[in-house]
Amino acid sequence: MSHSGRCILEVRNVVKVFPPRPGRTDALLAIQDLSFTVGEGEFLTLVGPSGAGKSTLLNIIAQIDTPSAGEIWFQGRPIATAFGNALRPGWDCQIGYVTQDDNLLPWRNLLDNVLFPLRVQRRLSAESVERAKMLLKATGLEGFERYYPHELSGGMRKRASLIRTLVYDPPVILMDEPFGAVDAQTRSQLQADLLRLWNLGRKTIVFVTHDIAEAVALADRTLVLTRAPAGLAGEHLIEIPRPRDLGNIYTLRGFAELYERIRRQIQ
Amino acid sequence: MIRAKLVLDRLLILICAVATWQVCSFVFGPQWFSTPWITGGRFIASLLDGEILHHAQFTLAAAAAGFLVGGLPGMLLPFALRRSPALTAMLDPYLIGGYGVPKLAVAPLFILWFGIGLGSKIALVASIVFFLMYFNAAAGVKAVSIQLLDMARIAGASEADMARHIIWPCASPYILAGIRISAPYAIGAAVVGELISSNQGLGYLIQAAAMDFNVTAVFAALIGLTVLVVGINWILDRTERWLLRWRRTEATRVRRFRAAA
Amino acid sequence: MNEAVTARPIKISERGWGGGSRRKVTLGRILFGIGCLAIWQWAHARLGTEWIAGPAEILGRAAELARTGELWVHVWVTFGEALLGFLIGGSAGVLLPFLLRLSPRLTRALDPYLAAAMGVPKLSLAPLLILWFGIGLMSKVVFVGALVFFLLFFNGLAGVQSVDSRLVSMARVAGGREWVITREIVWHTALPFIFAGLKVALPRAISAAVVGEFIAAEAGLGYYINNARSMADTVGIFTGVVLVTALVIVVNGALELVQARSLAWRPVDRDMVV
Repeated sequence: MSHSGRCILEVRNVVKVFPPRPGRTDALLAIQDLSFTVGEGEFLTLVGPSGAGKSTLLNIIAQIDTPSAGEIWFQGRPIATAFGNALRPGWDCQIGYVTQDDNLLPWRNLLDNVLFPLRVQRRLSAESVERAKMLLKATGLEGFERYYPHELSGGMRKRASLIRTLVYDPPVILMDEPFGAVDAQTRSQLQADLLRLWNLGRKTIVFVTHDIAEAVALADRTLVLTRAPAGLAGEHLIEIPRPRDLGNIYTLRGFAELYERIRRQIQ
Repeated sequence: MIRAKLVLDRLLILICAVATWQVCSFVFGPQWFSTPWITGGRFIASLLDGEILHHAQFTLAAAAAGFLVGGLPGMLLPFALRRSPALTAMLDPYLIGGYGVPKLAVAPLFILWFGIGLGSKIALVASIVFFLMYFNAAAGVKAVSIQLLDMARIAGASEADMARHIIWPCASPYILAGIRISAPYAIGAAVVGELISSNQGLGYLIQAAAMDFNVTAVFAALIGLTVLVVGINWILDRTERWLLRWRRTEATRVRRFRAAA
Repeated sequence: MNEAVTARPIKISERGWGGGSRRKVTLGRILFGIGCLAIWQWAHARLGTEWIAGPAEILGRAAELARTGELWVHVWVTFGEALLGFLIGGSAGVLLPFLLRLSPRLTRALDPYLAAAMGVPKLSLAPLLILWFGIGLMSKVVFVGALVFFLLFFNGLAGVQSVDSRLVSMARVAGGREWVITREIVWHTALPFIFAGLKVALPRAISAAVVGEFIAAEAGLGYYINNARSMADTVGIFTGVVLVTALVIVVNGALELVQARSLAWRPVDRDMVV
């Protein structure tokens, strides 16, 4: 495995079983013995079919949920185990999480939503506000600071939720199909925005998607997950040089072949 | 395991409540608080000798008659007005205004007009239930999907077909909700009418006992009233769920708490 | 070509009334109102003052009461009872759901008791409270307080329980503590429910004060109405009812203003209480 840096996050033999509920007799095995590592500053994408337990995995890493077995290691320490103590969502703001839904607070305007983490972490300063405004400007949200979420388009809300996590600068950011529910055009715009923002700071990103093209276009490395219970089906280093031009990435040599190989692994 | 713990918790709360009651009657004297045991005995005794049933019947009759007199027209009016939006818009402010009038304050007028018997209670219940049913049924009529109506018309449905197959199924959840919401109000209104002036009914029973400084009898009557309302709520809830079994049930729990009397 | 297609008028007769009939509706409303007044006046003339008091008589009586100062005494007593009870019962009813949220176990255990408590027609407690607290101000304040408490409590509980767990997770990941979540997310989610509760509770607080006064009191609009009834003073009953209605309308208007300001973030004003 070639990482761009030392290992920052490690998933060790993680298993997740959902216990049977009334109306659903069988226990559901969502993740089966999954292990992988993430290097510092790496852009890792996880690609797999819908319902493959990808969101469950990110929930476990973000400490919103516990694993049934296995461990999550972060910066050389185990942070989640099956018998672990109380959950600490976000691990003291070290792990950011951009969820599938934008989860903006409907009663706060765009700027207040973006500043929300800084405010609750008591890190609000002229400097951090400046940084937030810079990020808003970089993604074309300037001028919409006072708008409420329901007055913004889907793409703008996605960008806002992305910036909300970037602005407090966690070392690792998890992204769960952040561009799932937007139209194709907005989507490629958002992807370009994300790569540009990532180039500014080179955070470690774990990005989950079911879109193979997106997984390849963004990543340093792509892991292919199987249908539930999720397990590892393949690993691919993406050696397309950066900065990438997402406009013609699909026509690059090797892209189609890689796409086809991943598609076959998923099935 | 979890279930048993829940039952235990609930039992514990019940014991705490009864114990608090007992302590209160020790501290303040049983003439003010009665005691759980005496009240329970009194409730069962008056249930057995038919006193509570007699008065509950009167209250129930007032509520049911008021429901028919007020609720039925209130329910049908939005359907009659469905095809004439201009008329609806015209009547709207008056209906909203009528809804806002504190009907309970009008009770003395009803007593003046209809006497202290059943008539005044029916009028009071009807005046409250009419507006509740009207606004729920109106919401139901508004919920009828125009696309479905267009589809049916294109498919060659007659007005009667559309009423039966589209308008009723769309509106019925709202109407049933209206009935369920109105029921406790109907009984409450009947009781208030009886509190103010009556010679029968649970409200009369409560008021008469209170005039006698007989707290035990007040509590017994209140228990009877609560059982009546909870029982009716339960029956309506079941009926509604059975009638609407074709619907996905979401947020029924939230709705239950919302219909606070 | 395209423009020709979009410019075609759409038939809207089934879907609502166009701009042209707006004036007709306003005219209809005014005529309907005049018609109602006319029927009232006719019934008054036909049946006599002892059954139906006329509009003019009511206005005259209200003016007279205002002149002697009796009006303000009764309005003030009823309003004071309603307001005090509203503040006491209301703050308890708003606060308690937030405290209950901290213990899901207790909430679940209380469930059947809450359902039963909802079933008690609160208005029937009036005689008992008068027995306990006397015929003065206190019994009405407690009565109004109990009524408002239950209304707001159940609405608040529904609001607190409808919190979006995804927003809570998001706030936790972003570093928010329990206090932040309560203030930032639970409070804002519950606020529309609380306002819906307030909107229902405020007029009911006045009604409850009046009902309490019907049963036993020494002053207040309910006392005035009931007193008029026992003296067969129909004009007095009508005047009292009109005054109570006016009080309710004024109070509702005031609440409407407050609500419009604090829920500005909401896309549309959905009614939370039927």
